Amino acid sequence: MAFANPTGRVSGLLFSTLMANETKALAKGLRRRDAELLDRLIEQYQYRLFRYLVYITGNQERAQDFFQETWIRVLERGHQYDGKSKFEPWLFSIARHLVIDWQRSKKTQSLDALTNPEDGAPMEFAVDDPSPLHLVLSRESYTSVQASLEQLPAASREVLLLRFQEEMGLAEIASVLGAPISTVKSRLYRALNDLRGLLSGEAI
Amino acid sequence: MTPELHTRAEHLIAQARVEGISAGEQEWLRGHLAQCAACAASAGWTEEAIRALRGLSVPLPPTLASRTQMRVRLRAQQLESYEPRWRMVWAACLVSWAFGAASAPYVWHGLEWLGHRMNLPNLVWQIGFGLWWALPAVVTAVILLLTQSGPVREEEL
Repeated sequence: MAFANPTGRVSGLLFSTLMANETKALAKGLRRRDAELLDRLIEQYQYRLFRYLVYITGNQERAQDFFQETWIRVLERGHQYDGKSKFEPWLFSIARHLVIDWQRSKKTQSLDALTNPEDGAPMEFAVDDPSPLHLVLSRESYTSVQASLEQLPAASREVLLLRFQEEMGLAEIASVLGAPISTVKSRLYRALNDLRGLLSGEAI
Repeated sequence: MTPELHTRAEHLIAQARVEGISAGEQEWLRGHLAQCAACAASAGWTEEAIRALRGLSVPLPPTLASRTQMRVRLRAQQLESYEPRWRMVWAACLVSWAFGAASAPYVWHGLEWLGHRMNLPNLVWQIGFGLWWALPAVVTAVILLLTQSGPVREEEL
């Protein structure tokens, strides 16, 4: 009975119901190409999406272009969002695919290298810039962790961001990456280990 | 202490942050870290890495959102202007298909009669029937191809 145990389970259920209603309303609005809704979403997700794009492209100008293209794609493909899952992973996966498509068109490395950095060819988008990430991250936040991040492959930066800044669950990260959870886990372990090693002065 | 214990501790330190560990494993790890300075330092570096990672910020370009909103609105208007055109194309296809389905037996018999009168092989008038049936689809495909090479793309359907 709900009143007998008005704690975590009930509030959890209420929260998930609210979430479900919210994502369904979102899906409906996207199908209608509701301009007001899109304006609100752009405002709401601007920082998180831009930060994600900076992390995977390592370049501010390019991240801005991809940011705009992502929202255009959201407008055009809004009907594909079913509202059954959270919006963020869907949004991030659109952005990711745009970056991968662009990377593929540049033909600097194969798609396999982008999607399977464990196989020895780490994802590194910003090939034409020597070390662009430090130009992008704010000057006051320049720390040893930033220097260490610059040395990590983009695929590692990506999973670290999604897990520890976006606080996404493993399943959500898997949905963004389009990869199995086991791959996400191994990528995370490796990235965390590399970052820890860099911070403590070990070579990766 | 055996190397296996340190390896296990290292793994649990990362696992705790990636997917979580059980209460028993937490208890064991606490005990190990209390006794092992190297693993405690490693746990410290992991904490530090994650804390620092969470503290990083990216400066947001001030006009990015407004510029994007404007572009999205323009694109929405563009898509909206294409919609009536596509509705007409689909409606025409539907009517054409319905008319084709209803008249198919008559056309079949008509072409059969004509084929026999002109002493044509069966295959010829049957191909003719196939072409007649496929005509609406061919017209639609031509329209699609023409518009795809212009400003309207697949997504705008």
